[in-house]
Amino acid sequence: MVALARKTLVYEWRRFLPAILAVCFAGLLQLLQAALVLGIFGSASVYITGSSAQLWVGYPGTQSVNLGRPIDEGVEMRLRMDPDVVRVEPFRWVDADWRGPKDTGGVSVFVSGIDPRPDGMMFAQALPPRLRALLNEPDAVIVDRADLENLGVSVGDTAAINGHRVRVVGVSNGLRALGGVNVVSSLDTARELDVDPQDSGRVTYFVASVRDPARSREVARRLSGAASFGSYAVWTKQEFARRSQMYWILDTGAGAGVLFLAGIVFLVGAVITSQTLVAAVVGSVREYATLNALGVGVGALRKVVLEQAFWVGALGLVGSATMGMLLLALARSRSVPVALYPMPTILCLGLTMLLAMVSGLAAMRSLRRADPASLLR
Amino acid sequence: MADSAPNASLQARHVAKSFVSGRLRSTVLHDLSLDINPGELTLISGPSGCGKSTLLAILSGLQRPDQGQVMALGEELSRLDQHALERFRLRHTGFVFQGFNLFPALNALEQVELPLSYLGLTPAEARRRATASLEEVGMGPRMQLRPSELSGGEKQRVAIARALAKEPGLLFADEPTSALDAANGQIVIDILHRIARSHGTTVLCVSHDPRLVGHADRVLSMEDGRILSDHVAAVPAPPAPPFSASMESSA
Ligand SMILES: Nc1ncnc2c1ncn2[C@@H]1O[C@H](COP(=O)(O)OP(=O)(O)OP(=O)(O)O)[C@@H](O)[C@H]1O
Ligand SMILES: [Mg+2]
Repeated sequence: MVALARKTLVYEWRRFLPAILAVCFAGLLQLLQAALVLGIFGSASVYITGSSAQLWVGYPGTQSVNLGRPIDEGVEMRLRMDPDVVRVEPFRWVDADWRGPKDTGGVSVFVSGIDPRPDGMMFAQALPPRLRALLNEPDAVIVDRADLENLGVSVGDTAAINGHRVRVVGVSNGLRALGGVNVVSSLDTARELDVDPQDSGRVTYFVASVRDPARSREVARRLSGAASFGSYAVWTKQEFARRSQMYWILDTGAGAGVLFLAGIVFLVGAVITSQTLVAAVVGSVREYATLNALGVGVGALRKVVLEQAFWVGALGLVGSATMGMLLLALARSRSVPVALYPMPTILCLGLTMLLAMVSGLAAMRSLRRADPASLLR
Repeated sequence: MADSAPNASLQARHVAKSFVSGRLRSTVLHDLSLDINPGELTLISGPSGCGKSTLLAILSGLQRPDQGQVMALGEELSRLDQHALERFRLRHTGFVFQGFNLFPALNALEQVELPLSYLGLTPAEARRRATASLEEVGMGPRMQLRPSELSGGEKQRVAIARALAKEPGLLFADEPTSALDAANGQIVIDILHRIARSHGTTVLCVSHDPRLVGHADRVLSMEDGRILSDHVAAVPAPPAPPFSASMESSA
């Protein structure tokens, strides 16, 4: 079989270049915007992804980690009774008001009350044991390096949270919050800072680790089933992180923005690609008509055009993937928040391939001009 | 017209065709009947616009007549649907056009192999046939060249090889020489003639080029959509030996 589509693509690459570039940039834009959105909104779930616990137990229907409500202490008993659960740890979330020593006004902060033991699960990835130990001191807090300026403090300074005096004992890295500033304290300190009478000493979440992390989904389902210890819900780490991110993506309207931009990119890419492919078909229309006169069916000719679209898409995707990797590496090295997971990547690249194939279908229509009778004049 | 010849491979019976442009209806073919025999080079000549190409398109199954029937190799073309017509053309007809219509990306060998691959031949068989056809038209040594590296006459020979490699029973040529100079036109018409003789192919050539008249076995003169005269060469022109110096002026 003579590889007409491929040979033409190689020989007339200049003609196909605009289409390949259009596919390449469309793919690249989709990848970059997905990576940026996931990167920015990934910090909405830093509490979950920065911790080692596989299960999160909170108030039923909680949409995002920052929207947690107090749950019954009895839940802890229920968790500890389960043979698959090896450790349980409370986590207290407090929305609070920060007043620094400098005149920064009130800053809205999220206080995370965690167990400061060296092997504690909360922020196991984000806080090394040396920093955690500092939290054992009463009224000690840790803030993120990136927030020092906003809070108007440096290490060793004192400030007030909800009117309660605290002291900054250390700084963390990579604990930036969305819509506020993260402050980490021990569970006891957080309890002091919690002035909401509704909370009345109750914690916001329990986190747990299970014997076999691969089975955490199954364990979460089982624990969710029994409601005899009050109302609570159990999510796996991945579920809750996703839930929190999706809440922020949708709540801020970023999701609609992403879809809008993805649609525009798709449209512009498809217009350029299909026009280029149409021009290529029209440029060879007499040759196609000759093949049809010799008895090569219209279906076979359409296949050639579609195959051309496929190769244009494949070459464009190789370009998108290569440039995407380079640019994401560059972004990471400049601490631009970017994150890309397999599913979104496949989705972006799949959408781009779809763009190429849709353009191929559009170009196929211009084969109708390949009427062999028109060669006889 | 004449009764059907016993061995005609291509027959037209009462074929009529007209085109409508705007309010004007112009009849291009008037109730035309003819028989064309295998193993001959039949030339249809006539002034521009007399309907030669239209007749060729109808006889080859590229266009449908308004009235009348066409029998090609015992098959009535009007009975075939679009798909069956494509199958028929794939198996039985070859075409040579005024423009060479070669894919710029393919070399001569690939141009010829391309339609063969749709015939369901094995790659080895397709390669064998393509090579043989190219050698038959004298393009053996230039099989690896692309159209941009070939002269006009060479391109037309590749186009002939492309039609020939299918081993068609019917070979249609529309003004195959009019884009070529005299010498190359001579070569091309000699090849077509030789194909008719050696393969028993029905070769139907349409041209207004008077130089070709002496090279045909039979000449049909057309005017205004009718056949005016049917002239069988008294002494059939001997097909020239392959690529000898048959390039003396034919004026
Ligand atoms: N698709 C069409 N639509 C309308 N008119 C057509 C069409 N095809 C051919 N005609 C008309 O039919 C007439 C005969 O055309 P045809 O191409 O058969 O002439 P021809 O004998 O091949 O001429 P030439 O020697 O110049 O190639 C012309 O007057 C042309 O205008
Ligand atoms: Mg014509």
